[in-house]
Order: sequence, then C-alpha cells, then structure tokens
Amino acid sequence: MSLLVFDGLLLFSIVSLAWATLTSSDERLSVILFMAFGLVLAVAWGRLLAPDVALAEAAIGAGLTGALLLAAVRGQPRPLLPGATHAPRKQGAAGVTVVLRLAVTLLSAALAGTLAWALLHAFSSTPHDLLPRAISENLEASGVSNPVTAVLLNFRAYDTLLELAVLLTAVLGIFALDQATPGYQPAGPVFDGLVRWLVPVLILMAGYLLWVGAHAPGGAFQAGATLAAAGVVLRLAGRSRTGLPDGYMLRIVMAAGVGVFLLVGLTLLLLGRPFLGYPPAWAGSLILLIETAAMLSIAATLLLAFLGGQPESTGVKAAANRQREEISRC
Amino acid sequence: MLTTQILYALAGCVVVALGLRGALLHASLLQRIVAINVMGAGVFLLLIAVAYRGPGLPPDPLPHALVLTGIVVAVSATALALALARRLPAEQDDD
Amino acid sequence: MTDAMIGLVALPLTGALATLLLPRWTTAAAIGAGLATTVAAALLLFGVATQGTLHYQIGGWSAGLGIALRADGLSALLLMMTALVALAASVYASSYFNTASGRARFWPLWLLLWTALNALLLSGDLFNLYVTLELLGLSAVALASLGGKRAAVAAALRYLLVGLLGSMLFLAGVSLLYAGYGTLDLAALARVVAPGPVAWTALAMMTAGLLLKTALFPLHFWLPPAHASAPAPVSAVLSALVVKAAFYLVLRLWLDVFASVVTPAAANLLGLLGAGAVLWGSWRALQAERLKLLAAWSTVAQLGYLFLFFPLLLALPPGPARELAAGGLVMLALTHGFAKAGLFLAIGIIQQRCGHDTIRDLDGTAQRLPATTFAIALAGVALIGLPPSGAFLGKWQLLAGAVATGQWVWLVVTAIGSLLAAAYIFRVLGHAFSHRPYPNQQVAVAREEWPALLLAAMAALVLGLAGAPVWGLLEVGT
Repeated sequence: MSLLVFDGLLLFSIVSLAWATLTSSDERLSVILFMAFGLVLAVAWGRLLAPDVALAEAAIGAGLTGALLLAAVRGQPRPLLPGATHAPRKQGAAGVTVVLRLAVTLLSAALAGTLAWALLHAFSSTPHDLLPRAISENLEASGVSNPVTAVLLNFRAYDTLLELAVLLTAVLGIFALDQATPGYQPAGPVFDGLVRWLVPVLILMAGYLLWVGAHAPGGAFQAGATLAAAGVVLRLAGRSRTGLPDGYMLRIVMAAGVGVFLLVGLTLLLLGRPFLGYPPAWAGSLILLIETAAMLSIAATLLLAFLGGQPESTGVKAAANRQREEISRC
Repeated sequence: MLTTQILYALAGCVVVALGLRGALLHASLLQRIVAINVMGAGVFLLLIAVAYRGPGLPPDPLPHALVLTGIVVAVSATALALALARRLPAEQDDD
Repeated sequence: MTDAMIGLVALPLTGALATLLLPRWTTAAAIGAGLATTVAAALLLFGVATQGTLHYQIGGWSAGLGIALRADGLSALLLMMTALVALAASVYASSYFNTASGRARFWPLWLLLWTALNALLLSGDLFNLYVTLELLGLSAVALASLGGKRAAVAAALRYLLVGLLGSMLFLAGVSLLYAGYGTLDLAALARVVAPGPVAWTALAMMTAGLLLKTALFPLHFWLPPAHASAPAPVSAVLSALVVKAAFYLVLRLWLDVFASVVTPAAANLLGLLGAGAVLWGSWRALQAERLKLLAAWSTVAQLGYLFLFFPLLLALPPGPARELAAGGLVMLALTHGFAKAGLFLAIGIIQQRCGHDTIRDLDGTAQRLPATTFAIALAGVALIGLPPSGAFLGKWQLLAGAVATGQWVWLVVTAIGSLLAAAYIFRVLGHAFSHRPYPNQQVAVAREEWPALLLAAMAALVLGLAGAPVWGLLEVGT
C-alpha cells in the first residue's frame, strides 16, 4: 500500500512536470523543468526495476539533452528562437487560435484516450512472455549476464549498429552546418578546482560502467555519456581542450563504433557464421571489444553535438567557410 | 493485470498527449523540440510499464533495450534540430 | 544469396565510413561503394526471382529474439530501383559537388541515407523499422540542409520536426503491439494479429506517423519547401526514394501484417486523401513559378495516385484481378521513382548552367541543353502516364480496377490529375523551346547529363516496354 502512495506521488510529479514544461512561456524555465522531468523519470525507471534505463535517462535524457537545450537558450535576454513571444499576426486571428488550440487539445485527449483503451485491452489479455523466456534461456550463450546488455549487444546487435549510425549521422549533419557554439569564460578558482577532481572521477566512472555492464546495470551508452559529461565539464570551465583528439584521430574515433561493429560482423560472416553471430566462447570478449569502441564513439559524438561543430583548433573550419559559397550557388 | 503497470501506462498516455499538444501548438522552435522529447518520454513510460512484471519476477529486458536505443536516438535528433535552429537568424518569423 | 541482404546494408555503411576516413578519395570510395551496392541489389533480385522470398536471421537467433531480414518480390524491386536511382544521382553528384569541403560533407551522409533505405526495405522487425526510419530521417534532413541557405535550413528543420512527430507516433504503435502480442517480428505478428482495439489503434497510429513521412495530403505541407530548396541530387533522392520508403511501409502494414484488420472504409479514407493529393498537388504544380517547386508538388500528386490503389485492392477479391492491380501499383511507384529522379537531376543541370530555375525564363533551354530537355520530356511522359511508360501500365490498372469495382470516382480523379500533369509538363516544355531562331549546335551529351537521361529513359521506355516481369516477381512474395 505504501508503494501505491509512492507511485501516485511519483506519477503526479511526472505529469505535472510535463504539464509545466509545456505550458511555460519562458524558454529557459521550460528547459529547466524538462531536466527536472527527466530526473524524476529516472526515479520512475528505478522504481520499475529498470536501472540500466535509469542510468541512461539521467546521463543522456536529462543530463546531456538538458545541456544541449540550455546551451541553445544561453546568453539570450530575449527568447533565442523565433516566435516564442509572438503576437498574433492578423486581425481576427485570436478567434482562430482559440479554436485551433481547442481542436488540438481535443485531438491529443482523443489520442490519449484511445491509446489508454487499447492498452487496457492489451493488459487484460494473458501476458505474453515468450520473449523474456527466450532471453533468459539464451542468456548464457550470449556471453554476458546482464540481460539488457545481452539484448543490446548480441540478440539485437543490429539495432545497436544502426543506432550508432544514427548518432554519427546527426554529428555529421551538425558538422555540415558549420556553426560551433562559442566557448565559455575561463572558470574561477572554485569551479576550476572542482573540475580537476571531477574529470578524472568521471573518466574512472565511465571505465567502470563499461566494464560492469556485462553483469550489472551499465554498458557502453551510459559509459559514453559519462565520458562526454567529462568533456562538457571541461568546456564549461572555459578550457579550450575538451579531451577530444585532433584532426584525423577524431574522425577515427567517430567512426570507431560503427566500424568495429561492422568489422566483427563481417569477419564472422566470412568465417561462415551468421552476421553478428558471435560464437558463445568468444561472445563476452567480442561484446567488450565492440562496447569499448562504441563508448569512445558515443562520447565523442555526444561531446561534438554539445560543442555544436568541429572544435576550433582544427583548420578545416576556415577553409570550409571560404568554400561554402560554391555549394550554395545552386 | 498489475495495478502498477496500468498506472504507469496511463501516465504514459497522458504524457504522450501533452507532448503532442505542445508540439503542435507552440510557436517557439525550442519548445516544440522539448515537446517532442516529452512525447518520446511518454512512449518510454509505456514501454517500461509493459516490461514490468511485478516485484517478484525480473522485468522483461527487451523493452528496456528498446528504450535505451530510443533515448540515444532522441538525443541525436534533438542535437541536429538545435543545430539547425541555431543557423536561423532570430529576427525571422516562424510559422 | 542471403549474404546479398547483408551486403546491401554493410556496403553503403562501409562506404560512408570510408568517405569519412579517406578525405582525398571520397568520390572514388563513394562511387565504388555505390557500384558494389547496385551489384548486391541485382544479385538479390535474381535470388528472389529464382528462389522466392529470402529470409535471414541476424546473429542466428530465432525469430522474435533476434532481428529478421526479409526480401520478397516487392522489396527486391524497390531495392533495385533504389540502387539504380542512387547510383545515377551519385554520378551526377560527383560533378555537382566540386569542392573538397562540399564532398567531405556530402558523401558520408549520402551513403548513410542509402544504408537507411536498404535497411528499411529489408527489415522484418518493427523496432528495427523505427531505427531505420530515424536514420533515414536524420540523414535526409542533414542532406537537405547542405548549402546553408536560410530557406533550405528552415525547410529542413520543419522536415525534421514533422519526421520526429511521425516517428513518435510510429513508436507508440509499436509499443502497443508489443504490449498486445509480445513480439516485434513482422511475420509472427501477421499470424497473430486480430481485429480489436489493440490492432486498430496501433495501425492507426503507425499509419498516421507514416503518412506524415510520406507527405500524403493534407500532411504534405513540409515537402515542397524541403525538396525545392535542397541540392539537386538530394532532391532527386528525397522525392524518388525517401518518401517512397514510408509509402512502402504503409503498403507492408496494410496488405501484409494487418491484412485481417483493415476495413474497406479505412481504405476509402486513404483513397480520398490520395484523391486530394492528386488534385491539389497537380493544381499547385501548374501554378509553380520554379521548376523545383513544380517537381516537388508533382511528387505530392504522384504519391496520391499510389494511395488511390488502396480502396481498389481491398474491394477486389483475392485473385488475378487483385494481382494485376497490385502490380500496377508497384509499376507506378517504380516509374515515378525513376522519372522524378531524372527530372530533378535535369533541373539541377539547368540550374547550374542557367543560374536559375524559373520556368518563365527558360527561353531557349532546349537548344542549349538538348539532352537535358529531352530528359525532362521523357520524365514528363512518365509523369503524365503516356504510353509506353510504366506509369501508363500502372494507371491503366488503376482505371481497370476502378471500373471493375464500380468506384468511378477514382477514375475521374485519375483523369483530371493526368490532364493537369499534361498541362504543367507541356507548360515547361513550351517555355523550354524558344521561338527565336538559334544557330545549329552539335548535340553532345555532357557527362553530367547522362544520369538524368538514363533515369528518364528508364521510366518512360524501359519499364513500360519490358515491365511484364514485375508482375511475375510480385507473385513471388504472395
């Protein structure tokens, strides 16, 4: 019964935070409420026995996304992006907007209702546990004992491969736009002192999360996010070197996640096994290999996403600026 | 039919609806991006609720893996959206 | 032969990494990867034609536990179209992007887009489809924003947000299906799905998300600005392939996985929306001032035709008549893919040589760029649906089906749409042929004009004249 009270309070917080985030007219407040929303969500994941997801939500969902959003509203006394305090353009638009708002609200409510109705129906039928049983039966052959890691890096490794490609695509898209965010002021003594501590601890923690992911909550994504956080902290402290490698090495690190995955998968194919079908004896080591490369890739790409582009130290940016005209010709 | 599952799943439906409403109504690009993220969080609530099988049984790990993938995809998309928005000059109107 | 399926995903992905890591050989690596992928697509097509539907379980895990890949006649044909269109556009792009930084930005994203398309067409798992949809969306948006012009970036951002909304709806549907049936495997779902709240809601949500991505009227608003502002090779692939991928998923869901759940009423709704797309899209294309906008609106219209088939397919009883109609649908989709890609590439050449793409100022283009104008004419033949293009065969089936099932309204819509298409194509060609006398020129086809010409010829001639095997291949999947 006490857990029901806890659930009620937690869910109330989640829904109210979502409501507050989306009805706030101040962008910065929205972002902060969104980060709070993400953190409470992480608590919910813990409550529902999903510690891997809780770690990832806190680090990536609330943490890094929040950092990205805050950087977007940074330093703007007025709203950064167009239309935030936008008055109605046309006369008589006020009536239309009210109708529109009502229509959209009704549409969303209908969606929620239909979804809820269907879900209740789904829950009332006998639960399907074919897949959870299959996962636990094959867990030993998978090479790891954390079932979530087994699903991510073995049974459904192809999804993870494509997901790493998604990350790479986003960063390449960000590069192509060529607008790195401006740096930060050098930190005062207190923050600087904290950073000296914090960054090594974060790096250690990342290594630990990577290693432990095989048999406890953790893994490449959580580790990569922690490592990226170390770089973000360095950036916020005004350091120009954020831990990213320079030039060509950076490209290698960016490509490493997808590359190692493909290499392992194709090598196995050449050896007569199915694509990404690890032999059970080697599975654990192969997974660790892939996860290490993935961690580095994830960290680099998330950090680059925060930086908003290539670090200024590389010389490509100036050359790219000059040549941008040719592309926009047509 | 677990009460906990139903509660969290229903909350997920509400959050999805709130996110959709926010994505369609907000004029500010940033808040629309936040709204889409909230919608995603609602869907994740649904998935994790489906995965929960009560305090006695271990949860179904498949939806957990799906949500992890979803979180990473969401942050990638958000990063790209924010980078694109940064390139738009602030004086121009959005529709 | 099943390895070809892996190759179709692994080759462009490796190519993307190669173009990222080998900055001095980007074009060579990209074209190489493109050629290899095209060969893999041909091998797969041959394999499906001879052995029937091909399956592959990645990692060797059983269906449901692992992710399944599946190739039947429909996906093999679409994969082949994707390969040929992407290869032709790649050849064109190699001369379009002539700076080192331009190439460095373009090729990796291009090959990632190709990977996404192939992965989507091969996937047999719902969540895997979601991931491929996201990869497709992000790479398409990134490519559409290349060049950095404000119009392109604004359109790309709108495209991204609309796409994300669609993906979220799709994922909600997937979650619902997992809650209800406990599996993500398409083949397994097709066996167990039954009419009921879970199936209806899931199908509705997934379809809504996909309709956003395929720009069906009235959710089409994002497409014309995005396709019109993107660089020419990108527009070609966006119109010909990317929106087609979402349509393929709607087709797969409605006719395959949820076949027992769909109702004629729902199909009629899709048909009505398709009719709206045909009429509104053709009308706006007629009014367009710029060639690229015309082509983009034409895409909106042409996708509408594809949706007109839905009420027919559901009204026809299973049998030869339905097979013919399904074949017509695929033929129309294939023809549009080649034609629209050829059109956009030709427009790209005009933009490069003339500095603009305003229709009214096209005076004399026919004499200056005869091969390109011919390509536009051929593409136009295919877009209008004149014989011997594949579109003629497709529309013929559409009309035959409408008559056979007594749904005359689709016949009227198709007729009006084709007339409007003829109007806007002839308007363009009319402006392209100048009235002034022009000194005789040697007709030479420059290297960058070949891809457009070949694609348009494929649509207007090859598919129509040699299209019979399409029907045969489609039966392989059923």
